[in-house]
Amino acid sequence: MNIYFRKIAGPIFNRAQKSNLGRKSINIVFLTRKFIWRFNNKTTAGVYLVKNIHKIFNTNPKLSYAIQIKKLLDKVNIQITDENFIFFLDEFKILSYNNIRVDNISIDYSRTLDNSLHDFKEFYSLKKVNNTKNIDFIQDQLDMIEGIELFILKIIDAIKNSNRQDKDKYIGFFENIINKKVTHFEEALQRILFYNQVLWQTGHYLNGLGRLDKILQDLYYNDINNNFLTKEEAFNLIKNFLKSLHSYYWYKSTAFLGDTGQVIILGGKETDGTYFYNDLTYLFIEAINQLQLPDPKALLRVSKDTPRDLIELSLKTMNTGCGSPLLSNDDIVIDKMIEFGYDADDAYNYVVSACWEPSAVGKGLEQNNINFLSFLKPLNNIFDNESEEFINSINDFDNLFETYKTYLKIEANNLIDILDDVEFNTDPILSMFIDNCKYNQLDVTNGGAKYNHYGITTVSLANTVNSLYNIKQFVFKDKKFSLTEFNNIRKDNFTDCDDLLEQLKTNPKHFGCDDEEIISLTNEIIEYLENCFKDYRNKFGGRIKFGLSSPSYISGGEIISASFDGRRNGEPFSTHISADLNNDYTELMRFASKIDYEGCKFNGNVVDLMVSPNFIKNNFEKFTDYILLSIKLGFYQMQMNVVDSKTLIEAKAHPELHTNLIVRVWGFSSYFNDLPLSYKDLLIERALKNERKLSF
Amino acid sequence: MTVRVTNIQHFSLHDGPGIRTTVFLKGCNLNCPWCCNPENISFEIEKYFENGLNKEFGYDISLNELEKEILKDEIYYNNGEGGVTFSGGEPFLQIANIIPLLKSLKNKGINICFETSLSINSNLVLMAIDYIDEIFIDIKLLEKEKTFNILNLNLDLYLNNLEIINNSDIKKENITFRIPLNMEYTLNKKNIDQIINLLKRYPYKVEIFKTHNLAENKYKLLDKKQVEIKELSDNQINDFYNQIKEITENVEIISL
Repeated sequence: MNIYFRKIAGPIFNRAQKSNLGRKSINIVFLTRKFIWRFNNKTTAGVYLVKNIHKIFNTNPKLSYAIQIKKLLDKVNIQITDENFIFFLDEFKILSYNNIRVDNISIDYSRTLDNSLHDFKEFYSLKKVNNTKNIDFIQDQLDMIEGIELFILKIIDAIKNSNRQDKDKYIGFFENIINKKVTHFEEALQRILFYNQVLWQTGHYLNGLGRLDKILQDLYYNDINNNFLTKEEAFNLIKNFLKSLHSYYWYKSTAFLGDTGQVIILGGKETDGTYFYNDLTYLFIEAINQLQLPDPKALLRVSKDTPRDLIELSLKTMNTGCGSPLLSNDDIVIDKMIEFGYDADDAYNYVVSACWEPSAVGKGLEQNNINFLSFLKPLNNIFDNESEEFINSINDFDNLFETYKTYLKIEANNLIDILDDVEFNTDPILSMFIDNCKYNQLDVTNGGAKYNHYGITTVSLANTVNSLYNIKQFVFKDKKFSLTEFNNIRKDNFTDCDDLLEQLKTNPKHFGCDDEEIISLTNEIIEYLENCFKDYRNKFGGRIKFGLSSPSYISGGEIISASFDGRRNGEPFSTHISADLNNDYTELMRFASKIDYEGCKFNGNVVDLMVSPNFIKNNFEKFTDYILLSIKLGFYQMQMNVVDSKTLIEAKAHPELHTNLIVRVWGFSSYFNDLPLSYKDLLIERALKNERKLSF
Repeated sequence: MTVRVTNIQHFSLHDGPGIRTTVFLKGCNLNCPWCCNPENISFEIEKYFENGLNKEFGYDISLNELEKEILKDEIYYNNGEGGVTFSGGEPFLQIANIIPLLKSLKNKGINICFETSLSINSNLVLMAIDYIDEIFIDIKLLEKEKTFNILNLNLDLYLNNLEIINNSDIKKENITFRIPLNMEYTLNKKNIDQIINLLKRYPYKVEIFKTHNLAENKYKLLDKKQVEIKELSDNQINDFYNQIKEITENVEIISL
């Protein structure tokens, strides 16, 4: 959630949290939204809520979080399904919060597989006796572990009383969570689901799943080699696992339906330079391909050594329109993380936050989407707020660019001020799974973790580059207008200037062009922002990193006036690194490979391609080549929206005909029908532009 | 040295193997009624007006600049799998100007392809032939009189050039015939018979495609009248496909 919003809403929220009634009211507001998503009908949602309102339980915020978690889990309504994995959430049982929750994180599930709950308990009990630096932290951990253990015992009782045919097996799985490390593949999937369930139940959002092909590798091959499991059985288990993760889609979504942050990381470059992949890499992607659900999603880490058939399977899956997998180029990403200061082992083992922001798995507070910055806002601030005299005094492009930088610095400083005010809720659960917290005996929100960086996403770089270049050309080079005249046309929202608007929008030199002037302008802006952040350290010593992909391209645009790139008041910004007007797809990749991602500029940089399904189908081999060669060329990350405008237009008019149409939004996938109108319109507009591109 | 082009299209997937850059050279000596690139017919730079702006079809580019543009996508040519395609217009009409470029590209291992109607002086073909790796040859009309009257195509030159190519070092599997199809001109019994005879003599790969009216806007911008031609039905194109299939297995329906 945006921090600006938090700043306003925060005090109201905190005040309401202080009373039982206030807490209940907040929960009713949140639950209403979730139930509308669930039932896709306001009346049904309302009736369901009224009928169940007595079930709402809020923990007492005066208690420690560990005790609150313990009490919460005790109240949760246990639901055992008749078959497959056990996964349930009780939407009416809610943990109270006073500050910002840590979310948008992938824990390292290998720790849950390699350790029983008693292993953790033993560690903290010994600490309590021998070497206690922070008794409160240790006590919190022990209280919380006890709460989880009691919760497991309740689940075991419920399984015993259920009609499941395989109850003995599942009782064993849950008993083992308490006192044994995992020994089989199926058990591992259930254990991951259990801890994932605990995270969601305790109010954590955007929970990533981590490198599942890597952490499950030994268990899988052990079962296969001992004839305990066949590949086909493993495939079915993976499908059931994904279905369990997809359940409660409506509860897990945050900004829109689909925005769950459930990303599974697959493949990846090893420290010796070889490319890691195994059967599971293929099985997970194939399962996503077959299930055709918008969530969970996959991110495939690729390198120049990624096998062709894995890229082919990924492309086939993307071509279903499901939006997965996103590709992340390890040949670039890992180096940038190491340059920034991550230990090599951590960089090679990276995962991403909910969408695309790289981070070290299970080692940090790493709030990678803590706020966003708009590149265009400071440029428009000059032209919206400064006097005519001031604008007239800008007499060449260099002068304008220097002025812009000054305003960009102000924007960056404002953002830093807000970051310094951030307070997190203590988080005993994440502290249990994040490295160093237990050795430091410090909660993850108190600096216990190894990495404590803040990640910023940015929007509207394309609009800014295009605006600056248009001013350079139309005012300072071609002298078609004075700067003030040009600004007045802009302030008038380009009224009656359709021809000019079209020229501004379609300037052959634009962001995404493989043109030295455009590339150097782009790099100069981001390098300047990097300098603004360079010396920042948060209270835990963490630094700021930023990237060029942001979810805020529609909401951010709504509040920004018309811009010199031919964007009218409130219209959306450009999406990630995209250029719907580019002549071809290779040019955009050449451009993306020349952007400077060094320093702190590596917090997610996604090339967003929009391609029609027939184009890929008819040119499958060549499109596979295109991806493989683009990896070599050096894009940072890429995702594809594979859909044609005709389908989108029809789905907008007749949603009932396209109930399963999935599209890629931000860094997640969603059903097209579930999106707000502004997102539907933007997707249609982009699809139309891209289809024109291919009509040669 | 400069050449006159209308467009340089990167990520071109339909004009030869691999990922290619297609260079559309301006100027053609034919007048195909179904032409979908009317901006490539005249050798002159043509002015037009769009979105409040004066614009031009065609510009001159130096060989150095053109080479630089072609090499921008070198990584995508994947060591000679893809490359550059010279199309048009009739690309051989500017061949004398681009020979140094062909030499330089050849030295760099870039795969070179031409797309031609072959209605050109045979000397032009001979000048370039050693540099060509792949070639697309149109088969439009093969009845001598109609060919000249409708298209301005010299059939004797065409057949002579075809023989030169057939006897050259260009690998047979790298020669492809392209046949535009419409009921008004190319799909008449006599022409079909002639096409079949030609294919029997030169059993190269064949690509067939429907002509279309997608260039309507370009005709308007150029203030030229577009000849109305009906688009073929799928059945009509399939009938022709089956006839060709009896002579050669290597035939494909494409869309251009």
